[in-house]
Amino acid sequence: MTPAKLRYFLREALHNLWQFKTRHVFSLTIICFSFVTVGVVLSLSGNLRAKAGELSKNLTVIVYLKKDAPPADRDAAEAAVRSSPLIGSVRAVGPDQALDRFRTNFPDLRDILQNLGTNPFPTSIEAGLKDAGVPAERVLGFIAEVRKLAAVEDVQYNREWAGKVRALGRLVEAVGFFLGGILILASFFIISNVIKLNVLARRSEIEILRLVGATNTFIRVPFLIEGVVMGIAGAGLSLLIVLALIKSFPLYLGSSLGALQEIIAFRYLSVSQVFGLLGGGGLVGFLGSLSSIGRFLKI
Amino acid sequence: MIELYHVWKRYQKASWALSDVSLTIPNGEFCFITGPSGSGKSTLIKTLYREVVPTEGQVIIGGRNILRIPNHKIHRIRRHMGIVFQDFRLLPHKRVFENVAIALRVLGAPPKDLKRKVFIALRMVSLQSKIWDFPTELSYGEQQRVAIARAVVNNPRILLADEPTGNLDPALAHEIFTLFKEINAQGTTVVICTHDRELIRRFGGRVLSLHEGKLRERDAE
Repeated sequence: MTPAKLRYFLREALHNLWQFKTRHVFSLTIICFSFVTVGVVLSLSGNLRAKAGELSKNLTVIVYLKKDAPPADRDAAEAAVRSSPLIGSVRAVGPDQALDRFRTNFPDLRDILQNLGTNPFPTSIEAGLKDAGVPAERVLGFIAEVRKLAAVEDVQYNREWAGKVRALGRLVEAVGFFLGGILILASFFIISNVIKLNVLARRSEIEILRLVGATNTFIRVPFLIEGVVMGIAGAGLSLLIVLALIKSFPLYLGSSLGALQEIIAFRYLSVSQVFGLLGGGGLVGFLGSLSSIGRFLKI
Repeated sequence: MIELYHVWKRYQKASWALSDVSLTIPNGEFCFITGPSGSGKSTLIKTLYREVVPTEGQVIIGGRNILRIPNHKIHRIRRHMGIVFQDFRLLPHKRVFENVAIALRVLGAPPKDLKRKVFIALRMVSLQSKIWDFPTELSYGEQQRVAIARAVVNNPRILLADEPTGNLDPALAHEIFTLFKEINAQGTTVVICTHDRELIRRFGGRVLSLHEGKLRERDAE
């Protein structure tokens, strides 16, 4: 393809997009809406995956001690935890320290604490695993041993949380991609129909091109470019909207979510995701256009 | 050279539009196809650029049987032809320049060459001053001259015109036919479909007369 021909095709495609702008704006809106859905899903699930990753990196066993346990028993429990070959770091957290931490992390729930009147938090021992890749059975065996100690009230292990957060991320992805998939399919049909209308509107022009010896490719390429431009523009617009959501969400809605803010939060899309969405838009536009000219532009 | 051998054409179950038409038009000839409405003139001219595929028979253009050329390659034959219609078939939203240039764009002509050739073609039809006008801003006669410029801009070997003066008054029709004569003088084979006997008489040339799809030859007089 010569540069002159390419220039001609681009000019024709852009001219045609402008000529039938109402229908193109309509289809652009639908494409944009579809890709916003996918973008939001990617952003939310990206956040959940990252949270799960953080939790997995810092696997911790938290041992809660009985409030009325004698100091000797407490010391024995801490010594037992420290002596385990699975444990890399041990940190004792007193009730006051736990209370401060709660107040900092969950400011919305301060009132509950005030109503209680007393500090409900027990002393705990936070034991970080030496190696994140240690088999779960060994950790569970260690937890079972610790539970048997006289001073121990309860033991929590955050690997379960990491698994739960990861599963939630997968669920959000599955639901989002299902919805996004349906909307993208709708975009495909809309592009296909818009191009079909364009072909019908330019029937006499196509006829003239055929009579002056235009090849099928020469006639078809501007329609394909129209579809690709619509797809990329729709996806590009959706990226801007997703960016606006990422920026505005913490300002307008984030604080009202309270403790859920960590889980329901938008994360910036990666460069590969951005190019993936733009490429996806272009592909949907190309295929929509191709299906239409395949059926309605038989030359 | 244009050669037709025993060409028959029937549209669905209607009567024969062309009935055993055989003819030869040598290179450089100025030729009329005439006859009353519905005699098959347009069908005959359409078979020459394969807009219509005959029911039977052979159509040979420049030594090639155009009926054996696959659909996706028919543009190769049409690039050696210029076609002019009664309704001009111009692109109303494109300027005169672009309307003429389109015939060169499909060939992938370089921009400089394209501009030069378009200007020469428009000068030939005396419309170089209207190069940036839209077709709707031109008179019927001027629009037909633009169509002729588009038809000849790539120096075709054959010029086909289907009732090119049907929408024009006698003075403009005379002007258009004069242009066809000039194009023919440069070596292009010109085949004009018309029922205007007065113009045929004035301009002379070979006359192929169709009546109910059957061809007979007669003198311009």
